[in-house]
Amino acid sequence: MNKRVTLTIAKIEHETKDIKTFTFYHKLDARPGQFIMLTDFEGGEKPFSISDCTENEFSVTVKKIGEFTTRLFSKREGDLMSFRGAYGSSFFISNTKVLLVGGGYGVPPLYFLAKRLLKAGAEVVVVNGARTEEDLLFDDKFKELNIKYINITEKGDLGKKGTSVSIAKKLLQNQLVPKPQLGNNNHPQAGAWGRENREKFDFLYAAGPEKMMKNLQKFTGDITYEFLLERYMKCAIGICGNCTVDPLGIRLCVEGPVLHKKLVEQLTEFGKYHRDASGKRIGF
Amino acid sequence: MYNRLKTKFLGIEVKSPLVLPAGIMDMSFSGLDISARNGAGMVTSKSLTLEPRSGHKGPVIAEFESGLLNSMGLCNPGIVDGLAEIDEFKERSDTPVIVSVFANNTQDFIKITNRVNDSKADFLELNLSCPNVYDEFGIPLAASKNKVYEIVNAVKRDSELPVIAKLSPNVLNIIDIATAAEKAGADALCLINTVGPGMLIDIKMVKPVLFPKFGGLSGPCIKPVALKLIYQTYSAVNIPIIGMGGVTDGEDAIEMIMAGAILVGVGTAVYYRGIEVFNKINKEIIQFMDESGYSLLEEIPRLEKLENATQTSDL
Ligand SMILES: Cc1cc2nc3c(=O)[nH]c(=O)nc-3n(C[C@H](O)[C@H](O)[C@H](O)COP(=O)(O)OP(=O)(O)OC[C@H]3O[C@@H](n4cnc5c(N)ncnc54)[C@H](O)[C@@H]3O)c2cc1C
Ligand SMILES: Cc1cc2nc3c(=O)[nH]c(=O)nc-3n(C[C@H](O)[C@H](O)[C@H](O)COP(=O)(O)O)c2cc1C
Ligand code: FES
Repeated sequence: MNKRVTLTIAKIEHETKDIKTFTFYHKLDARPGQFIMLTDFEGGEKPFSISDCTENEFSVTVKKIGEFTTRLFSKREGDLMSFRGAYGSSFFISNTKVLLVGGGYGVPPLYFLAKRLLKAGAEVVVVNGARTEEDLLFDDKFKELNIKYINITEKGDLGKKGTSVSIAKKLLQNQLVPKPQLGNNNHPQAGAWGRENREKFDFLYAAGPEKMMKNLQKFTGDITYEFLLERYMKCAIGICGNCTVDPLGIRLCVEGPVLHKKLVEQLTEFGKYHRDASGKRIGF
Repeated sequence: MYNRLKTKFLGIEVKSPLVLPAGIMDMSFSGLDISARNGAGMVTSKSLTLEPRSGHKGPVIAEFESGLLNSMGLCNPGIVDGLAEIDEFKERSDTPVIVSVFANNTQDFIKITNRVNDSKADFLELNLSCPNVYDEFGIPLAASKNKVYEIVNAVKRDSELPVIAKLSPNVLNIIDIATAAEKAGADALCLINTVGPGMLIDIKMVKPVLFPKFGGLSGPCIKPVALKLIYQTYSAVNIPIIGMGGVTDGEDAIEMIMAGAILVGVGTAVYYRGIEVFNKINKEIIQFMDESGYSLLEEIPRLEKLENATQTSDL
């Protein structure tokens, strides 16, 4: 049995105008890609990916989007919340050369992943995309890691215009070689994007809007990848069936949310539709 | 293996007596399909209503030591989309399907029945016993033998499919209700739905754990209640019973059969043992049959029926 835990919010950090990170002091046995079900018992229990997890604390990073998250945004440090988990599948921890591609609130769980990959000895390249510089998530946190890091915005306010997929495409097609971190001065223009030193990634990880991953999939070639997918979750323990994906019938709360390439490729609904709280199909 | 577990239910042959019950892994054709591929002999849809329902706000489910508490709130995509999922399932599987439906009055049940007639479903199950929509619809219909009679009788007149009545354990006299359904023409009975309802409290926040406050119990803790009610019902009626409530392994399933069930539902155990639970229990039933010297499922004996089981019935 997975015991419910009720505890105070230890820390709240404002990431962007509509994204906050909530940290709890609790020893959580969690792996990157897993999620918790969070509630305040006021109506709504919702899944959130773990964005960081250390010996004695863990965090979730939340976008304000509807009723529950709006109420969550009105909470203060010291307020009580209740959660169960961690649930679901997790990312494979490789020790080779890997590429992480994130967009939106898919970026924070990749931060937790990057840390675990580094621990395992992987050579980590992260592409972090957002609409504008202000929307960029965990920029400073990634810069503090010993990784190669590329941030990019659609608006181009960091220098170049682009998306995490447009950058990933170049990296995967060997048109771009990421430069190692130079302290905190990680402006993409600060480094040379060369064409030499062709490098090959052994593993690709992505999290973010499904449209983004659907796009990214086109450039994956024969590289092995794992995507973090989302579907409407209610029970999170694999019995209600709300989060099953067609045509496999696997549950994203148990066999997912992290799915291996072999499974993603078989999903006919990937990038096309999902089911809402009633089970009705909704197009993306 | 399946040859030895084959059984007949209302004239249709099923490869295993195990049934995926309503509300478990059944919001999509693919959920039904993965259950069938993992050894369920028959699958049931989520209880469908005329219009789509999003269900209750969460938490809608809570785990505790010996079972689950749930108040999903009859979330379902509505009869039209729900039947489309079933038809899509039938295109890829020959496993028989029960379509479970819910309404709170005879008129709506009739409307739904006419929709189901046009689908590829094999059986129509009337959920007369959802304990979790009390605020909206009041006491479950299955609490009143007159209502049960009225609805089953009306649906039977219109339904082109055999009709199964799903009964509630939360009644004073199950035999009254079961015999009312039988007299009204029900082809089979399904019992039990969840028990209680009950509740759990978060002692730090001083709040009910479920947002709807109360929810039905399922899983191991309800098995003794289920066995007793199935046995009483079996003693009093002459129509087949789909027995369920807390079945987690092969021995539980054998108990259900001995209590009088023809088919056995396995719901909450999907949580305990994974979606492979059907094949696991199929194997455990075979193992029991081997140990006890039964070569076919139908050789498994039943308890002797209760004497005078119907004497309390006054319908
Ligand atoms: C595995 C997983 C990981 C997630 N990780 C994060 C995360 O790290 N950060 C973050 O901000 N969000 C995350 N989400 C999405 C988050 O659960 C929803 O944004 C949240 O539930 C919205 O609730 P609401 O009441 O504020 O909005 P609502 O108005 O109820 O819904 C707005 C939208 O949020 C989505 N949503 C609502 N309820 C659920 C639900 N029960 N399950 C899944 N999606 C739902 C739907 O797409 C819906 O259209 C994750 C979802 C899943 C499935
Ligand atoms: C999450 C959940 C949802 C359920 N939804 C329905 C439903 O929609 N209709 C219904 O007739 N029974 C529903 N039930 C009841 C089950 O079909 C079954 O009767 C009950 O859970 C007992 O069996 P079990 O202990 O094997 O789970 C639901 C049960 C659970 C746990
Ligand atoms: S949320 Fe219920 S099965 Fe995944």
